Amino acid sequence: MKKIIIIAVGLLLLGLAGAMLLYHKPHQDISQADPDYIMTSPELFAAFETDEASANEKYLDKIIQISGKVASTTTDEEGLMSITLEGDGLMFGVICKLDGLSEPKRKDFSQGEEIRLKGICSGMLMDVVLVRCVEV
Amino acid sequence: MNKSLLLFLLILTLGYTDLSAQQYFTRAGNVSFTSEAPLEKIEAVNQSAVSIIDLENGQLEFAVLIKAFLFEKALMQEHFNENYMESSKFPKATFKGQIQDYTPISLAEDAKYPVKVKGQIIIHGQSKEIEVDGELRVQDGILSAQSAFELTLADFEIKIPKIVRDNIARIVKVMLEMKYEKFNG
Repeated sequence: MKKIIIIAVGLLLLGLAGAMLLYHKPHQDISQADPDYIMTSPELFAAFETDEASANEKYLDKIIQISGKVASTTTDEEGLMSITLEGDGLMFGVICKLDGLSEPKRKDFSQGEEIRLKGICSGMLMDVVLVRCVEV
Repeated sequence: MNKSLLLFLLILTLGYTDLSAQQYFTRAGNVSFTSEAPLEKIEAVNQSAVSIIDLENGQLEFAVLIKAFLFEKALMQEHFNENYMESSKFPKATFKGQIQDYTPISLAEDAKYPVKVKGQIIIHGQSKEIEVDGELRVQDGILSAQSAFELTLADFEIKIPKIVRDNIARIVKVMLEMKYEKFNG
């Protein structure tokens, strides 16, 4: 009888520990993750521009390694930076929100500079948006 | 660069029909929400909301990508996207509305304008008419807007399983904060 109780309590604790681990599961480490797609910012922008529905199907939630020219940068109140990479050569492009969970390698980007980032594609509004980007 | 073509494209993107030179926009708007349930407080922030406001006629539009909401816990973010918002099927939430009893405001003077905005909100593919309070602010020639309102999940057919009833509130509080730039049409 005693044995059964000990085993039951043990299993319960194990279950609780598992639940806690799952609950506190960390966000994916983007810098360590392999990209699903490697492409340039005009390519990604064009994919969404031509057929948003199929681009959504293909790229949403995927890790994309993107290279392109810096069109502009902004920093929000919390100090989180976002970098817009050139898309159609006009006004719209790919907005890359830098990852807030890790320290960026650097924060000084100059306009026109070619850079390479890796982030998660979350879709298109006026620009294509990648979140949690890290420089590679 | 043909700017009027650009303006036209931008307006098309957001489904606008009225061309005017009094438009202000942002693509780095802040939209966040909190759900306060007995067992758990959940917060998420989205910092890439798009918004356009027309100061001539008081029309307003907002759009956010559901997948651009970031949560503290990875699991919450997963559940939010996969189980509740089905964000692969419905990647965006939008609002299109009109400031009630609108009289054109000027950016020449610093001021605060309380406003009531009425319009259609679309979340999870479900459309609903809402009326919310907000505030437009002018400071040093810069226009900003903020609002806080509540949404009922059931109105958008977002179903919460019984087992997590005490973890997720049925009514969530939404906050938004926009800083607009002049659209150089």
